[in-house]
Amino acid sequence: MLDKKVKIKEIRDLGARNFLLTVNAPEQARLVRPGQFVMMKCVEEVDENPLLRRPFTIFDIHRNARSGKPAGLELLIKDVGYGTRKLVQACPGQMLNCLGPQGRGFQISSEMRNRTAMAFLVAGGVGIAPLYLLAQALIAQNVKPILFYGGAAVADLVLRECFEKLGIETFYTTEDGSFGERGLVTQPLAHYLKTVSRKDVRVYACGPWGMMKAVHALSLQANIPCEVSLEARMGCALGACLGCVIRSKDHSGEDQYLRVCQDGPVMNSRLIDWDTVPL
Amino acid sequence: MKEQKDVLKTPHMAVDIAGVRFKNPVLTASGTFGYGLEFANLMDLHSIGGIVVKGLSMVPIKGNPPPRVYETTSGMLNAIGWQNIGAAEFVAKKLPALRNYDTNVIVNIVGFELNDYLEVTRFLNDCPGIKALELNISCPNVKKGGFHFNKNPKDTYTITAETKKASRNLPLWVKLSPNVTDIREFAKACEDAGADAISVINTFVGMAIDVDKRRPRLRFMTGGLSGPAIKPIALRMVWEACQTVKIPVIGVGGIAGTGDALEFLIAGARAVQVGTANFYHPDVSQRIALGLQEYCRSHRIDDIKEIIGSLRAYD
Repeated sequence: MLDKKVKIKEIRDLGARNFLLTVNAPEQARLVRPGQFVMMKCVEEVDENPLLRRPFTIFDIHRNARSGKPAGLELLIKDVGYGTRKLVQACPGQMLNCLGPQGRGFQISSEMRNRTAMAFLVAGGVGIAPLYLLAQALIAQNVKPILFYGGAAVADLVLRECFEKLGIETFYTTEDGSFGERGLVTQPLAHYLKTVSRKDVRVYACGPWGMMKAVHALSLQANIPCEVSLEARMGCALGACLGCVIRSKDHSGEDQYLRVCQDGPVMNSRLIDWDTVPL
Repeated sequence: MKEQKDVLKTPHMAVDIAGVRFKNPVLTASGTFGYGLEFANLMDLHSIGGIVVKGLSMVPIKGNPPPRVYETTSGMLNAIGWQNIGAAEFVAKKLPALRNYDTNVIVNIVGFELNDYLEVTRFLNDCPGIKALELNISCPNVKKGGFHFNKNPKDTYTITAETKKASRNLPLWVKLSPNVTDIREFAKACEDAGADAISVINTFVGMAIDVDKRRPRLRFMTGGLSGPAIKPIALRMVWEACQTVKIPVIGVGGIAGTGDALEFLIAGARAVQVGTANFYHPDVSQRIALGLQEYCRSHRIDDIKEIIGSLRAYD
């Protein structure tokens, strides 16, 4: 994990308040594992507002066009408030503070490293962010990813062309029926989970709390391990402030607070006390 | 030639607090720097005077349910609720690694009742590698205990005197709450009770609301406000405390840069603690320590102690 000042290469407006921010960060790009995140904010000369950096999972590694070597990070940012707005309104060439890569990423178990293994990737809106690097890693390990990608409307299904380029099977849902199946992403997922009963299947999900809770319940029912990528307001991302915790409950009923920044952001869904998540 | 030598001379940065030497007056504040080791890869821990570690109790504490933090204008609210690994685990797992760094370790201690404070004090007393204890009676984020002792000067006196008796080998600092009418009464109570130093101040009780959901931003409802937003009030309280007591005052509250640290020192603080700024610039304490040295050099000050309490009031 490194703390660097990095330069903005490009900010792409993807519509519906979504932006793809590319920064030059070769040293950090080399260290990234799927599911990890960075803490970002603008470098300020005078007044620092916001104070705290904002956490973003890494969508993709930007590679040097000629050498193919890791050159930067691509971050999917949804403009939801003051901190994110300041980032998406920055200009190419501007410097950002970038701390990371940080946290526990997705685990690809050794059981899965064969041609029959399958992974169900479930995304709700910007929850797509950590799944692209994961999809690439799975393919590299001969695992077949299937993407279930839902949003309120078609405009929320950003960057789906990236997954289509990987040639993976995809299922889209929108609540308004503007694209794919009308309804929630959990509907096609539930259908598919019923068709598999193998040990080498995994579910990986990221999205709103309600979606992740439902995906966890479906996976549990199908007896398939599920990992979720969590979001929380963070102070430091170093495990020091204990601000980003989530309540965990083990089978004996013993509870504790786990840090999203260190024990996550990706966690086994069975560790989480879903009754207390902020719905 | 002689003049040039003067300019290049390294100023003396060390300060003394209750017989303990600090290589410079920059410390990190409890709760904002974990157990120190979390920052070891991001800065040089040798470069600062000391680390005040996260508040410790004898028995581990789980803390408050989330959400626990929320950023406000120039500040942040927190209601962590004393989550910590417990004193025994700290001594077994963290302290040995911390001891490898040439910086002073101060342990902030928390408790719900007087006995909790005494128990953890007695335990830490005999642990090599700890330079002082900081009595935390000012945390606003627990439902009972703690803050209770900072509501009237008499209670502050009692807990300070009792804890001082228990802390035979270590200097005792008391960290005071700003959520009082007159900080001077509490500063005096600490001094009278035998405290070796006071840390002024802890966080202000604050609140924020999500207007769409009409819910408090923190599950605990209220939280402690920290960060640059509180600096002018902290500075005023430090100045007031310095006018009132002879024991060293350690300035805390919104310090985010060299200029902030200097203000507290000039107001009379013997040392400063950097808090919330550690979260967004993990190496900020190191930069402030260096910045103070540069200030002394450029102002031709040989010894940082010349700055302490050097405020020039208008007649």
